[in-house]
Amino acid sequence: MKKIILLITLIISLSSCVAVKEYEKMNLSDPDMALNLRKIDRFEASFQAYREAASGANGGKTGGGCGCN
Amino acid sequence: MAEKLAVVVDVINIIKVQMKKVFVVILLLISTLCFSQNKSNDSTKVYKKRVLESSEIDFLTSYYLQDGKNAAVTGGIGTEEIDDFTSTLVVTVPLNADDILTVDFGISAYSSASSSNINPFDADYANAFQASSGASASDVWYNFVGSYSHSSDSRNTIWDAKLSVSIEFDYYSFGLGGGITRLFNEKNTELSVHGNVFIDFWDAKYPVELKPAGSSDEDGDEHFNINNYTITGNTNYNPIFQEFDNKMRNSYSIGFGLSQILSKNFQTLFALDMVLQQGLLSTPYQRIYFSDIEDSFIEDFQLADAIEQLPDLRFKLALGNRMSLYMNEYIVLRSFYRYYFDDWGITSHTASIEVPVKITDKFTLYPSYRYYSQTAANYFAPYETHISTDRFYTSDYDLSKFYANQYGFGLTYTDIFTNSHIWIFGLKSIDLKFNYYERDSGFNAMFIVGGFKFVLDDRKKSIPKLLNRIGF
Repeated sequence: MKKIILLITLIISLSSCVAVKEYEKMNLSDPDMALNLRKIDRFEASFQAYREAASGANGGKTGGGCGCN
Repeated sequence: MAEKLAVVVDVINIIKVQMKKVFVVILLLISTLCFSQNKSNDSTKVYKKRVLESSEIDFLTSYYLQDGKNAAVTGGIGTEEIDDFTSTLVVTVPLNADDILTVDFGISAYSSASSSNINPFDADYANAFQASSGASASDVWYNFVGSYSHSSDSRNTIWDAKLSVSIEFDYYSFGLGGGITRLFNEKNTELSVHGNVFIDFWDAKYPVELKPAGSSDEDGDEHFNINNYTITGNTNYNPIFQEFDNKMRNSYSIGFGLSQILSKNFQTLFALDMVLQQGLLSTPYQRIYFSDIEDSFIEDFQLADAIEQLPDLRFKLALGNRMSLYMNEYIVLRSFYRYYFDDWGITSHTASIEVPVKITDKFTLYPSYRYYSQTAANYFAPYETHISTDRFYTSDYDLSKFYANQYGFGLTYTDIFTNSHIWIFGLKSIDLKFNYYERDSGFNAMFIVGGFKFVLDDRKKSIPKLLNRIGF
């Protein structure tokens, strides 16, 4: 856990030095670069929430709303 | 087989009727909203880039099939066969330059050999590895989610709220949620927090042999009377059974997200979700067979010694990371990792990678791989392994120790100019995806998903004309 917090802090610290300007974000705006689930992936996330104990932190179900795990 | 086909035809017909109604309602909704939107545009004096330029409609559909030999309904043995057909309509409407309303309606029709064995005695010959044809063999699930989001003038603050309702044959859910997102550092850093509350209710169904002799209910298990059957094995059948008093299940979740642009081609997201669940966390129709109680049978079906008992409190924590790397104009790398643990003793690791490959300006391929592993819950034991003096017990293999591999392949067609039209809707993209999932226990599943995205293209002002014609 400590390592993860350290890694997050490090990433933020490093990135704060370099801010990518709006006009430089063309590649980041590519739909495939999105940092979330695509709409089509919702069924996959739902199936996994039913069939696996772990859920959350992926933009899908976290718990509740279904008779699942 | 004929009965199963009839069930599938029935549920598809139900879906067709329901989808027609929903489609009409949603079209009316879009029309009204878009019309009001057009009026408000006229009075806008100051130019502001809209959060969403036009209304969008996503039609998503999936077919899912699974099989295995460790059904929880029959205490860790028996068929796990399920097939499911789901259709979802998502309508996203910009109310003005800053606000977006999203309406999401889904219907899922499934047939389950496993849950059909809540009452196995309406089959020709009861057996845990064979489906019966009872009322619980198939059902329809309905889901509605409405959400609203508002972006500030600077587009650096976004808040959203949502409401959800879902209904299935034994489960009802009502959910409320909301969140806020803040962007910093020239929109290079994004922090978000969101919360959800689900108030759920079980209409508890129990294995039919545990019901009082001669009782009836709305499931069609009418007048099931265990005294009409010959019990073999241990003829002094005396299960441990008491109906659950509390049928509520409440879930409270809070989640945090931090995303960061690291370069012109690389960005990452860290997410933390915490969930507290309380209430009826057991599934009422899942049987347990104890090792210290002699087995009783009707035909070839082993009668329940008890039903699953799990604690009424569970805390879950999941920590995830996503990374997206733009390799070049053809290839993007997307990865996901999640660590999960809960206070039932389960820890889990999930890792996945997807490599979108643009083969032309309109077509992209999506090969993907996902690995998943989990340890067993403290309360899990296989068939005939628990003892009757245990306080908690389950033989649900979804809570067992296992690892799984999932292989996926998708194809997307995108037309950013929306040249193809259906009435006033331009086709923006078509997605197709196939996934195959297998566990080391032998359980496997496959699903095929299709998605169609349309964008409202009302250059001919068809909607205002239509609304004028019908008197609005």
